[in-house]
Amino acid sequence: MASDWNDIPDEEFRSIFRTWVDQNCPSHLRYMRKQRPLFNEVAVWYHALAAKGWLAPTWPRQYGGMGLSAAKHMIYVEEWGRLGCPRIPDHGIGLVGPLLIEYGSEEQKAHYLPRILSGEHVWCQGYSEPNAGSDLASLQTSAVLDGDEFVVNGQKIWTTLAHCANWIFVLVRTERDAKVRQKGITVLLLDLTSPGVRVRPIANLRGEADFCEVFFDNVRVPLKNLVGKINEGWTVAKSVLGHERIFLGAPTRPEYALERLRRLADARGAFEDPAFMSRFARLRLDLYDLGSAFERYAKVLRAGGELGAGVSALKIFTTELYQRITEEMLTVAGEEARLADDLAAGDVEIDAMNLFLDSRSPAIFGGSNEIQRNILAKAVLRLPG
Amino acid sequence: MPELMLDDPDGTLVMLRDSVTGFAARFPGAKAMRERRGRGGTMDPLIWSAMAEAGWIGLLLPEECGGAGLGLREQAVLSEALGRALIAEPTGTASVFAATLLGGASPGAERSRLAAGVASGEMVAVPAWTSGAKPVVARSVNGSIALSGETRFVDAARAATDFLVVAQDADGVMLLSVAADADGVTISERVGVDGSALATISFSDCAVPADRVLSRANRSEELLRQAILHTRLALAAELTGLASKALELTIAYTSDRVQFGKPIGSFQAIQHRLVDMWIEAEFAAAAVVNAVDSLQADDVDTAELAVLAAKARAGEAAFSICRRAVHLHGAMGYTDECDIGLYLKRAINLNAMLGQPEQLRLEFVERESGYRRGRT
Repeated sequence: MASDWNDIPDEEFRSIFRTWVDQNCPSHLRYMRKQRPLFNEVAVWYHALAAKGWLAPTWPRQYGGMGLSAAKHMIYVEEWGRLGCPRIPDHGIGLVGPLLIEYGSEEQKAHYLPRILSGEHVWCQGYSEPNAGSDLASLQTSAVLDGDEFVVNGQKIWTTLAHCANWIFVLVRTERDAKVRQKGITVLLLDLTSPGVRVRPIANLRGEADFCEVFFDNVRVPLKNLVGKINEGWTVAKSVLGHERIFLGAPTRPEYALERLRRLADARGAFEDPAFMSRFARLRLDLYDLGSAFERYAKVLRAGGELGAGVSALKIFTTELYQRITEEMLTVAGEEARLADDLAAGDVEIDAMNLFLDSRSPAIFGGSNEIQRNILAKAVLRLPG
Repeated sequence: MPELMLDDPDGTLVMLRDSVTGFAARFPGAKAMRERRGRGGTMDPLIWSAMAEAGWIGLLLPEECGGAGLGLREQAVLSEALGRALIAEPTGTASVFAATLLGGASPGAERSRLAAGVASGEMVAVPAWTSGAKPVVARSVNGSIALSGETRFVDAARAATDFLVVAQDADGVMLLSVAADADGVTISERVGVDGSALATISFSDCAVPADRVLSRANRSEELLRQAILHTRLALAAELTGLASKALELTIAYTSDRVQFGKPIGSFQAIQHRLVDMWIEAEFAAAAVVNAVDSLQADDVDTAELAVLAAKARAGEAAFSICRRAVHLHGAMGYTDECDIGLYLKRAINLNAMLGQPEQLRLEFVERESGYRRGRT
């Protein structure tokens, strides 16, 4: 095992990582149709990564992570995608771990981090509420201190994979009369098996249940499950994403969709049609230039710099391109676009409708594209408020 | 605002940018464009020779030819800066295109004469290669060459001392120089959208001495291909600079203009449009950098794809950003007095030069995957 992955040249690291992943990620888990498989469905891959010590790419090595720099982490994510490996329930690895490492007590780190790596704790993220989506700071789920326990009441929604999680990292309101709404928010670690918790999966447009509602009815949470300081959880919540924001803008989805469109168009003879050709060329070049734009930001990370707010441009572009490509698939499908199931294209099946429906969500999650535009208007263009 | 991000270990690129800023203070771009329009499109020789003095016109020419011996990275940064400053001189054609042709031409007295003259600004050698209704044909007559035919969309024809003519001969294509005042050369000009003049040049049994041949068949096709490649890159960079500056002006205007008691730039409808314009400018800059990197690192086919993409992206971005910029300036934007219209007109001109985005995208896809309109 290398003493420090970051001392290895990029291409060598890529090759080591790729070779092992290719040999160890089970073939039946590659290129899963499901975007967000449940923990049980991919547990074998989760445990294999954990045993190798490669489950937590960005955690420091002292906590069982790989301690990868942003540059190496990008290679990790690229190869993962290139080999068609499934997404694992990663809120523990990507969210709770980094937050505890930064804001957690020594006791919390010692307790929770190993349980994330072992898969004993599967985490979900309790941020959005029915009346607090883009306007997250208006959240109302309350926690009232009663002795050495908080009593939590309220509801979360759009909680991804809550139905296969046993812990939730939850934002609650601990101060109602704060002058600034961002004040008075607190971060708690909550055991989903506690009495008073109810989880209800929500079917999405694709007929799958990726996300859930989570209800809290007088749920008691020990004081020691508080992360950071009481009423100062907003800072903790907002600090979640550092260089990882670049991955929201990765070209992976449109790349895959364009290849599917190409095959469908080939099988349907659409390339004979100059009007289609013109639309296809635009999509192809949008994807090509997205690669160049992604590289513009990746270069900053590789040079050790920090991403500015401008990286939101990638998220907006990639999610909207994904939508335009899948919309074109339905056009090419003609009357077959009336069908729910996959379309035959030569010797392959093209999941046009599945991709079209899937492409609705990325423009909404991770901060809707309109919120991203608000951020850019303020932080990059410095327009008046 | 978005700009090309390129490594600059020895500070050359910063120096180039600074020198353009200094130049623009002496020769403000908008003023020069208006004056040129008033002269009927004729180039200001004072500006061109000052650009030559700065080393920009011969930037790509090898040092032994009197040039600066710099590369496409430097050219891209220079062109971007010229675009930002709206220095709307025929840099793409009379500098980049001409320097690439001359740099690669067969060594000889004519090449040396022209290269040195172009670099110093004493001569203006303008490429004349776009075929008109009658393509230019070269015939050998008594040891000299007779040219007939016409060529279109020639920049700065009135200022030219020489034309770099691409003519068909029995072996293929030849490149030769023709004195602008030679017998049998007729120049007829039309007004360009940005106030420059675009000429059709007719050759009618125009006799050219054989020592003015710069390259023969085989080599000429390759030279032309290279000149188009370099010029597309330079135009893409110029369009990127232009787009970025037009956006900057529009952000300033909308932040300043008050209606309903607030700056109009505080309204979300306006903000989201400006953000979309910024994203387009950002992508244009990224596409140009990708092309510059690809020209240095990749094989020529890959690099040509990158340049097609960059010219398409930057042209589309500049045209679309400037259109919306005019709109966001309100009625002021529709006046001749407001500079934003000059950016739009310049963007239209450069976007339409050497391939509009649609054409470039189709060429990209055809080259990459063999798909062609109407057949696979």
